[in-house]
Order: sequence, then structure tokens, then C-alpha cells
Amino acid sequence: MPGGEPFFFPGNGTGCLLAHGFTAAPQEVRELGEFLARAGYSVLGVRLAGHGTRWQDLSRTRWTDWLASLEDGYYLLREGCDQVVLLGSSTGGDLSLILAAQLPVAGVVTMSTPFQLPPITALKLLYPILKPVSIILPMLKKGPPDWRDPAAAQTRVQYNCYPLRAVRQFGLMLEAMRSLLGDVRVPTLLMHSRQDGFIPYEDMRRLQGALVNSSVTTYSVEESNHIITCDISRHAVFDQALRFVQGLDEV
Amino acid sequence: MKMLIPGGEPFFYLGGEPGCLLIHGFPGAPEEMRWLGQYLAAQGITSLGVRLFGHGTRPSDLLRARKEDWQADVEGGLACLQGCTEKQVAIGLSMGGMLAMDLAANVPLTGLVVMSTPWVLPPPADLLQPFLPVLERVWRYRTPNEPSDWIDKQAEALNVNYPVQPLHAVGQLLELLRLVKTELGQIKCPAHLIYSEGDPVAPPPHGQSYLEQLGSDQKELTRISGSGHNIVRDAAREIVFQTVVQFVHSLVGDPA
Repeated sequence: MPGGEPFFFPGNGTGCLLAHGFTAAPQEVRELGEFLARAGYSVLGVRLAGHGTRWQDLSRTRWTDWLASLEDGYYLLREGCDQVVLLGSSTGGDLSLILAAQLPVAGVVTMSTPFQLPPITALKLLYPILKPVSIILPMLKKGPPDWRDPAAAQTRVQYNCYPLRAVRQFGLMLEAMRSLLGDVRVPTLLMHSRQDGFIPYEDMRRLQGALVNSSVTTYSVEESNHIITCDISRHAVFDQALRFVQGLDEV
Repeated sequence: MKMLIPGGEPFFYLGGEPGCLLIHGFPGAPEEMRWLGQYLAAQGITSLGVRLFGHGTRPSDLLRARKEDWQADVEGGLACLQGCTEKQVAIGLSMGGMLAMDLAANVPLTGLVVMSTPWVLPPPADLLQPFLPVLERVWRYRTPNEPSDWIDKQAEALNVNYPVQPLHAVGQLLELLRLVKTELGQIKCPAHLIYSEGDPVAPPPHGQSYLEQLGSDQKELTRISGSGHNIVRDAAREIVFQTVVQFVHSLVGDPA
């Protein structure tokens, strides 16, 4: 689908690897990528497996496929760069932390990244039986977007449903991530909106608490909903991300 | 957590025009195309070697793969090349050649290179095709038992390839092949085909069949000898690399 394409902007020796969230597409982090490219950095925005095409494709994937897509991006970017910084929106942030626990990266930026499954009653009840349920009910329709910037919401590229098989994979990914957070030893910047209606703001504090071996900076976004890379306060988010990447350069 | 096996990593060598998209075969890995990528890089040519879904990780990942995943990976590689080059050339080995042709039939490319792509699959895959959707449920992996066709045994030892072929993915390959054959007339960009006499899977007559049906005005088949199926890795690879570079230079105007 249009907006489903990954993107690459050549630049200097610091590579920024951008990852979008669950059921979204590279478009979610493209404006951030363009911003970092204008500042001189090399930027690559990956497409996670099963995303940016049809929701049925996401249904077939496992979270390890999403991780492999991010790893692909790391190797594509690394060839021409001295260091790679990972920046992930929502689930893209979880995958970035998992990768940072394993591969040499300079730093990680997470944006609206979940620490655990969101506190939705239906999800809590269904989660243990998602696999059998998905045979009868392969997906759940999403509700209308609740963005502070309705114009930005119009341009959003995403699936309009959650494939249930993939939701289970999302949960398995979170489990794996929590067990690896102690292995993240590079600086991290965590950003989250106080008004996030999907992944609670407290998840940023939980991530911060579990990143025991990382020097963590946090930034609280005041106005946006969950998609802070596109919603109304995005420019503040871009500035914070840039400042963090610049800080890594000076080390 | 790390998913990619050594040799499963895609690569991106930045350079000048054009941008070459290198597509590996089934069930191979980006490593297969890396030497060609490095050769192109040494000539100042940009190259990106994609990893196709389900490859370069675990054979079981191919059980979930569909041809659409591979097509999307190829499109993704092209999108990245478009970020740093004006012109793009798709270069594929074996099944990668099918994907390169499929791409060329659907988006404007500056050129196309097809290497060792079979026109029909050798037995037993061709005979089993109608039964694959059922068969793949009980017989998941086929272990190839054909005698090795490699001339350069050292290169064979270095090659990264799954030791088994998931039958489901063979079915997807056959679907891709069927699709590509319907699109050959739509391909208009200059095309160069390279086939080896020593290839038991796709000898030069297979290339001849593609050559006849391609819609391109400018199309050519180069026959080589001294290699098996994997002509970008086997003994005669230098001739293949030189042929590719010559073709690629002809597309953008040889600087020399």
C-alpha cells in the first residue's frame, strides 16, 4: 500500500534506524526520518514483515519476523555508517530495545513504547485463548482515531484492524523484551504522552525502572495521543530525538 | 535475540549510478549475492542485496512465506535504492530472477539482469505441482538429493543455503513462476540474461525461452561455461561479474 514503502536518506556517519509500530507502516516515522536527514544524518526506515501490505499478511507473521526486518535495516545502514542509533515508535521501540540487547548500537529512542499488554478488559480476557479464538474471529476492527491533530490522522497509513494471531505475537514479543531489558547497556531516551489513550504513560516509568544498565533520559509529551511521531506535539518529539542523537555524537 | 544467521544479513554498498538491486535465490541468502555486490561497489556502482522473507533465518520460517512477502521485500529494496540513486537495475539469481522480472513488469526500471532462472522446474517439483497444497501438509521438507553441480568446491563450502526445501515454499516459487510468465511481454527495459552450460537446473535453453518472450527491444543472452547453477559464486563468477558490469555501464554511459 502507498506509505508502506521503507525509505532511505543518505547522510553522515551516524545512521538512524527508524521502526514503526504494530499494524502501522513506515509512513508513521517518515516525517521524523526527513527531519533527521535534514540535520545531516543517514536515515533508514524499515518496513516490518507483514506490515504495509494487507492485514492477512500480518496474520501469518511472528514477532521474530518483525525483529528480523529490523535487523535487516541495521545491516543495510551499518555498511555506510560508523554508528547506528535505533528509534522506534510503539512496538518499534520494543523491537529496538530487543535488538540493542544483542547488537552494537550507539543508543535507543523509544516513543509510546509498551512495557506490557495495554489494560483493555477484552484483551485481558481473550489473550490466553487468542490462538483458538483467531480461527473463528481472525481480526478485530479498530475504533475511530482519537488524535489531537485530526489533519495528521487523515494521512495515517495503517491496517484498520488488529489480526488476533498477531496480537498474540505482540504479547510474546513483550515477554521476550522484558527479559532482555537488563542487557541494554547503551543510553536510551524514552518518550511518552501523558494523554496516551492506548498505552498508558506509566509504561514509560516501568521501562525506565527495568533498564537498570542503561543511562535513561525521559521526556513527557504533553498533548498528543499514542502516535507521538505524527500527532500535534510531533515537533517537540523530533527536537528531543535530534538532541539525543547529537548528544551521542559528542561522546 | 538475533534472528539472522551468518550470511543472512542484507547489504547496502553506497556509490554512484545506477543502484543495483541484488536478489538471491531459493532457499538462499543475501550472502549469495555479496561477491557480486562487492565487485559492483569496486566499480563505483551502488548495490543493495535484499533478504527475502523466510530466508537467512530458519527453514521453518519459509513454511509461512508467500510469494507476496518476497515481492514486498523486493519493492522495499527498490524504495531504499530510490533514496540515493536516479536509476535502478534489478539483478536476480534463479528465483531472484523471477522476482526481478516481476518487478520490471510492474515498475519502471533502467535495466534487468536474469541469471540461471529456470523456465520449468526439474522433476519431481514439476510433476508434484498439482498436489503440493495437500502434499505440503504431510511432507513439509524435501532434502535435495541431486549430485552437486558445483565446479568450485571451496565456494560451495562457503555458500549459505538451507539444507532443506520446505514444500510449501516450493509451491510459492511455482506460483511466482506462473505469474512471471504472464508478465514477460510487459517488460520493456533493456534485459541481459546469463546462463551456464553446466547448469542442470536452468541451462541456456531456459534463458532462450525467456529471451523470446520478453517485451524489451534491447535483450541479450550470454552463455557461459565452467559453472553450475549458482553462477555468481561458482568457478566462472568473474566472467559473470564482468558481463553484469559491462551491461550496467552501458545503461548509464560508461564513464571510462
